[in-house]
Amino acid sequence: MTSADGGQKTALYDQHVALGAKMTDFGGWLMPLEYSGVIAEHTAVRTGVGAFDVSHMGAIRVHGQAAKAFLDGVLTNDLLSRGPGEVQYSLLCQDDGGVVDDLLVYAGSDDECHIIANAGNALTVIDVLRSLAPAGITVEDRRPDSAIIAVQGPQSRDVVRAAGFDINLAYMTSTVVRHPDWGFVVVSRTGYTGEHGYELVCPREAAVEVWQAVLAHGALPCGLGARDTLRLEMGYPLHGNDISPQISPVTARLGWAVGWKKADFRGKAALQAQKDIGPLRLLRGIELTDRGVPRSHMAVVAGGTVVGETTSGGFSPTLQCGIALALLDSSVSVGDTVAVDVRGRHLAGRVVTPPFVAASPKDPSPAA
Amino acid sequence: MSSIPADLHYTAEHEWLSLSADGVARIGITDHAQEALGDIVFLTLPSVGATLAAGQACGEVESTKSVSDIYAPVSGEVVARNESAETAPETLNADPYGAGWLFEVRLTDASEVASLLDAAGYAALLGQ
Repeated sequence: MTSADGGQKTALYDQHVALGAKMTDFGGWLMPLEYSGVIAEHTAVRTGVGAFDVSHMGAIRVHGQAAKAFLDGVLTNDLLSRGPGEVQYSLLCQDDGGVVDDLLVYAGSDDECHIIANAGNALTVIDVLRSLAPAGITVEDRRPDSAIIAVQGPQSRDVVRAAGFDINLAYMTSTVVRHPDWGFVVVSRTGYTGEHGYELVCPREAAVEVWQAVLAHGALPCGLGARDTLRLEMGYPLHGNDISPQISPVTARLGWAVGWKKADFRGKAALQAQKDIGPLRLLRGIELTDRGVPRSHMAVVAGGTVVGETTSGGFSPTLQCGIALALLDSSVSVGDTVAVDVRGRHLAGRVVTPPFVAASPKDPSPAA
Repeated sequence: MSSIPADLHYTAEHEWLSLSADGVARIGITDHAQEALGDIVFLTLPSVGATLAAGQACGEVESTKSVSDIYAPVSGEVVARNESAETAPETLNADPYGAGWLFEVRLTDASEVASLLDAAGYAALLGQ
């Protein structure tokens, strides 16, 4: 399960090992899979507070004259509608509409924005942006000098405040705080769990102290296992599974993250055509009514024929049943009963529109 | 270091077997297996009355992150299955050698037990 010489280590690697984490190779990084157990960690985030090391994510700085307008002309979402301090979910697509990566874009000034890309795609994103950037705009890989710690759950605000960040941020906004001990820390009201939560981008040298502070103030260390079950319950897509160079935002029902009215962005013509024709398959949720756990790449069957394939699947600790995201023929409707072929057993489930659980990242913290 | 009780028999597939005087064997997964699997969320067990051949895949243990087959350590007829563990699969994590047992088999050939690992052999397999 652990790899592999050459696995990159975050600034918190020794902390994870000391906490007894099971480590796993993810996107070329040695990351904690779980500490106390996926279900305990998942439950902590849904009902209390958990902390995740997500320093493997790709921090990218894009700066130079009209850097924001440049990104707006490349990425799908309408970045110019966002002002300083606002954070936007967006996509970098290929010309054919396939997804290179999904991103969070921190709208700074007209001349500077920051991007958080997926670990395994960061270098590709950097390469694509550099290839498209006009002279005067610099695309900078910030991974070597930053660490990212996510603090998530209904009690996350208490923890962030106790750690020295006495802030009141709206969902999908960020601010830069000069912490007396840790230097400049970007604090954002973002996350991948569906709960009220924060992500702290701090200098690499401060990572251990920030991590130890959030744990000391009550956050349970959480690994990639819980991160996956939490995001799956929300129906958040995972690049490489639910969106990919072969699965476009139209198919994945991410049209809300596409600025259709923009003059242009990479992949616009192809995506507009897909939208006009209507995609053959759509990304939907399946909630199993039979006992069992669907995984990715399992056939979905209805009326004796294959009507789709799962793209992600797992056990929902909240619902106590199997759930999956699946690409389903457009003839399949929400509410239909289908079966997932789990190693030869056809397990019945209901087609739903995610999220599978009622959590909302927009909820004010109980302490707010 | 995982727990390896001295009085049980083991397989390389990380199952344990406890033989009673009446020729019935109780079977489960080891502490090492439950630790490696992580939180166990579903069990599929063989039906009572089923006839198993040693080495046959006869069930599944599914955790939040993966699924593992259960192989029959010995040949025989299934005489009991642990329905309370099916209802509460987390019992396998909490008590793999006790309340987390899986099923019981009446052995066809008691000599098959001799081919299983003893505690020292299983510990060596785990590198402990």
